[in-house]
Amino acid sequence: MSSLSATIQAVFNEPGCGKNATKSEAERKKGCTKQLQPGGAAGGCAFDGAKIALQPLTDVAHLVHGPIACEGNSWDNRGAKSSGSNLWRTGFTTDINETDVVFGGEKRLYKAIKEIIEKYDPPAVFVYQTCVPAMTGDDINAVCKAAKEKFGKPVIPINSPGFVGPKNLGNKLAGEALLDYVIGTEEPDYTTPYDLNIIGEYNLSGELWQVKPLLDELGIRVLSCISGDGRYREVAYSHRARAAMMVCSKAMINVARKMEERYGIPFFEGSFYGIEDSSDSLREIGRLLVERGADAELLDRIELVIAREEAKAWAAIAPYKPRFQGKKVLLITGGVKSWSVVAALQEAGLELVGTSVKKSTREDKERIKEIMGQDAHMIDDMTPREMYKMLKDAKADIMLSGGRSQFIALKASMPWLDINQERHHAYMGYVGMVELVRQIDKALYNPMWEQVRKPAPWEDPSKNWQATALAQMDAEATALAADPVKAEAKRRSKIVCNCKKVDVGTIEDAIQVNSLTTTEGVLSATSASSGCGICSVRIEGILSAFPVPQPLHAPIQVAAE
Amino acid sequence: MPQNADHVLDHLELFRGPEYQQMLAEKKRLFENPKDPAEVERIREWAKTPEYREKNFAREALTVNPAKACQPLGAVFAAVGFEGTIPFVHGSQGCVAYYRSHFSRHFKEPSSCVSSSMTEDAAVFGGLNNMIDGLANTYAMYKPKMIAVSTTCMAEVIGDDLNAFIKTSKEKGSVPADFDVPFAHTPAFVGSHITGYDNVMKGILEHFWDGKAGTAPKLERQPNEKINFIGGFDGYTVGNIREIKRLFQVMGVEATILCDNSDVWDTPTDGEFRMYDGGTTLEDTANAVHAKATISMQEYCTEKTLALAANHGHQVAAFNHPVGVTSTDRFLMEVSRITGKAIPEELARERGRLVDAIADSSAHIHGKKFAIYGDPDLCLGLAAFLLELGAEPTHVLATNGSKAWAEKVQALFNSSPFGANCHVYPGKDLWHMRSLLFTEPVDFLIGNTYGKYLERDTGTPLIRIGFPVFDRHHHHRYPVWGYQGGLNVLVTILDKIFDEIDKNTNVPSKTDYSFDIIR
Repeated sequence: MSSLSATIQAVFNEPGCGKNATKSEAERKKGCTKQLQPGGAAGGCAFDGAKIALQPLTDVAHLVHGPIACEGNSWDNRGAKSSGSNLWRTGFTTDINETDVVFGGEKRLYKAIKEIIEKYDPPAVFVYQTCVPAMTGDDINAVCKAAKEKFGKPVIPINSPGFVGPKNLGNKLAGEALLDYVIGTEEPDYTTPYDLNIIGEYNLSGELWQVKPLLDELGIRVLSCISGDGRYREVAYSHRARAAMMVCSKAMINVARKMEERYGIPFFEGSFYGIEDSSDSLREIGRLLVERGADAELLDRIELVIAREEAKAWAAIAPYKPRFQGKKVLLITGGVKSWSVVAALQEAGLELVGTSVKKSTREDKERIKEIMGQDAHMIDDMTPREMYKMLKDAKADIMLSGGRSQFIALKASMPWLDINQERHHAYMGYVGMVELVRQIDKALYNPMWEQVRKPAPWEDPSKNWQATALAQMDAEATALAADPVKAEAKRRSKIVCNCKKVDVGTIEDAIQVNSLTTTEGVLSATSASSGCGICSVRIEGILSAFPVPQPLHAPIQVAAE
Repeated sequence: MPQNADHVLDHLELFRGPEYQQMLAEKKRLFENPKDPAEVERIREWAKTPEYREKNFAREALTVNPAKACQPLGAVFAAVGFEGTIPFVHGSQGCVAYYRSHFSRHFKEPSSCVSSSMTEDAAVFGGLNNMIDGLANTYAMYKPKMIAVSTTCMAEVIGDDLNAFIKTSKEKGSVPADFDVPFAHTPAFVGSHITGYDNVMKGILEHFWDGKAGTAPKLERQPNEKINFIGGFDGYTVGNIREIKRLFQVMGVEATILCDNSDVWDTPTDGEFRMYDGGTTLEDTANAVHAKATISMQEYCTEKTLALAANHGHQVAAFNHPVGVTSTDRFLMEVSRITGKAIPEELARERGRLVDAIADSSAHIHGKKFAIYGDPDLCLGLAAFLLELGAEPTHVLATNGSKAWAEKVQALFNSSPFGANCHVYPGKDLWHMRSLLFTEPVDFLIGNTYGKYLERDTGTPLIRIGFPVFDRHHHHRYPVWGYQGGLNVLVTILDKIFDEIDKNTNVPSKTDYSFDIIR
């Protein structure tokens, strides 16, 4: 396992990540993801992350080496779309049993690889390590190597057993496997100055296909998409691209950065969510390609396409304006990250109450990304009864959220629209934004909300939980208003850093005692923001409020008003 | 020959063999004077046009593919719901065979019913002798507790007087004088099966309440706290009545179910043939006169019966086959208001679960267009549920729907923004529906088994809700009433929607990029 832990250390050392680069050596070693807490409800494991990242490669046989649990639960569980082979949807597993646990499962794995190659003849087999064989010591690297030599086929070990960390780490380990074993192993039939890699795009709901026609029209060739609707060979020769776009935030940043290092392929982080972001991304693609030798006239053609598509999209959104008149949106999401989604919603006439930021400058975009980066924390900050109160006070008509918050929205009797990965509609590109607006319209006007909001008609409305909760909130507010000591204690007890469970009071005291002026200072004194780092914005807020302690406006509360 | 004794093919396979294919093609070519296929195709396409629709809707005399059945069918439905009761149909034998097979095909149960087997001489001289012999034989052979007499057209055309005939039969000793023989005139040339249901229900109640055709004193009503519940003609009667009994039980409501067919059409297979099973006891039927109120689940099934109950001093309430949250709320609250029994938390939770299920998946139904046909009350119940889900019941058609019914459907449309582009078609048939589906297409069709031809012709997927459902099994065992029933209807609709998505995405390497396991 030493090589695996070395890989993990290397992954954590990610100079391409701004946040990571500012951390101290010790902090960096701890890793960039939230440490899992025993007893807490956590997301997926590293295996899941690796599988999710690579599963969209359509012509590869994805073989899971482990007991039925791992493939049984992950088989075909994401809506990635394939334009060709459906082999990726076939569930291959060694389905190991007690004997394999006792005597080792390497032979079974080897035979399984053999049978796949004999019966399916895929261009490559990806072998996923899981917890059990990793613990019993099955050396999948060795098995893969032997199989590769014997059968003359790429057999790629994906060493990301569940226990090494969370999903996000698995994404990166999957990327490492591609870097180590796949990328650069084959050559394309030909190359053009317009060859582009798209990294970290999974073609969920066929989203990529909403953008690809524009790229085709511009003569930009997607040499390889890692991994949505991807082919093994495309990944293998992706090192010949001229430029790369990194889509899914930081999940595969290691791939983009190392390809830049190794093959000189420049990349930018972009998004096709939102009209403005789509345009920005097209411009960036053009700029990078032209820098690498494409004809500069490409830029003019890009501008023409942008002008045409933007006009079309805005025109398609326009009819919704009267229907959205006076409708307010609460945006709680980590999935569709771009601030330009917000711009599109505003253009459609929706009022955003999820943030006090109304303009869409570069800086604002960054700020929204910070605030909205991790929906779980947003939701921690806002209880169902608070959400219900917002709804009751007509402060929000709909919530755009990730799958995790849908249940809270339902409890708060608030209409919601799922805009994260598990949705069934494609929101990417110009048409995608129109679809999003259409879906919001549908959600807003779904009569189901009538039923969800209303208690059973025979119920005494003064006795249901909503009424009780509101009364309780009012009572608490009154009590706090009457008792400044209690109010102060309440204010100080508000959690700022959810990862490390650090509250306002602790941070304020640390600032006071140590005369701190930077988030780094607060971090070393209290360990706040050393987890996911998302709360550094809030800590900055506290710092800026010093020395005079004032009632804190945590971002979400600002957002809520 | 493709057929051989070792491997016998049934019709699904057999006639696809080359021998048969050739034979059929030859027959067509040589003997059927076939038209030019291009001309056939032209006419087929023309029949899909607005022009054809106009001619179709101008039809005056001809009914094509009616969505209704006859009065006597409804009469038999009502009669078998009473304890030990055999329906006795005064008229021709063939009709009775129809009712029995109709119910057997729907409920997959034997359905007992006898006839007076009128023949030509009876048609000429009257059916009195058939009645006398028929009642005597029925009484002797099947040992019923009650014989409920209804009629077919034949007896009605010659004007047989049931009251007098039954009296004479009793005098002649066919059955004991105090044996219960309620009756109702149920000609098929008036109304439909829902009228027949109403007439027999009224006839039986009148018999017990109003002095058994002059042979006993009228019952004096001594009001109590019980209520009467009438389900109406309902293809889901097995599941629905059981669900209603459960709802009443958890509410603590004492109710007489008039009538309860849930056992006779769902008998266990344990080696015993049950000609009669369950049903409302004759005693309870008589005592139902004392009830505080009579509630009908199907207004247009019970117009005369409810009037009778009202005349006996009952509070009456009528619903339109309530399906879904709001309709079930109304039903339960009315029961609660009448009986003074609170709706318990248990039902509030069931309600919450239905709301939850709707919230989970209504996005798939919201905005979809549906065509519905069936009995008037069922149409109303389903249309209300669809509006609740944000769907548009674009075409609502009942061959046995009246003008008053149409007005009620229109009022329902007017109550929801989703009803804005919806239309109601009283008195129209399934050939009209065919034109509607071609000229104003919808996403799904809701109807009985006969809708499968429309599904095939127009490509509109059929969701089977209604009566009869011959080609799918056992759906009648699941309720469509109550919150649980609403959930069943929701699932039935969703299943079809998802099946269609799968069907439209299952071509390998062509559309199957969306052949997803998660929907």
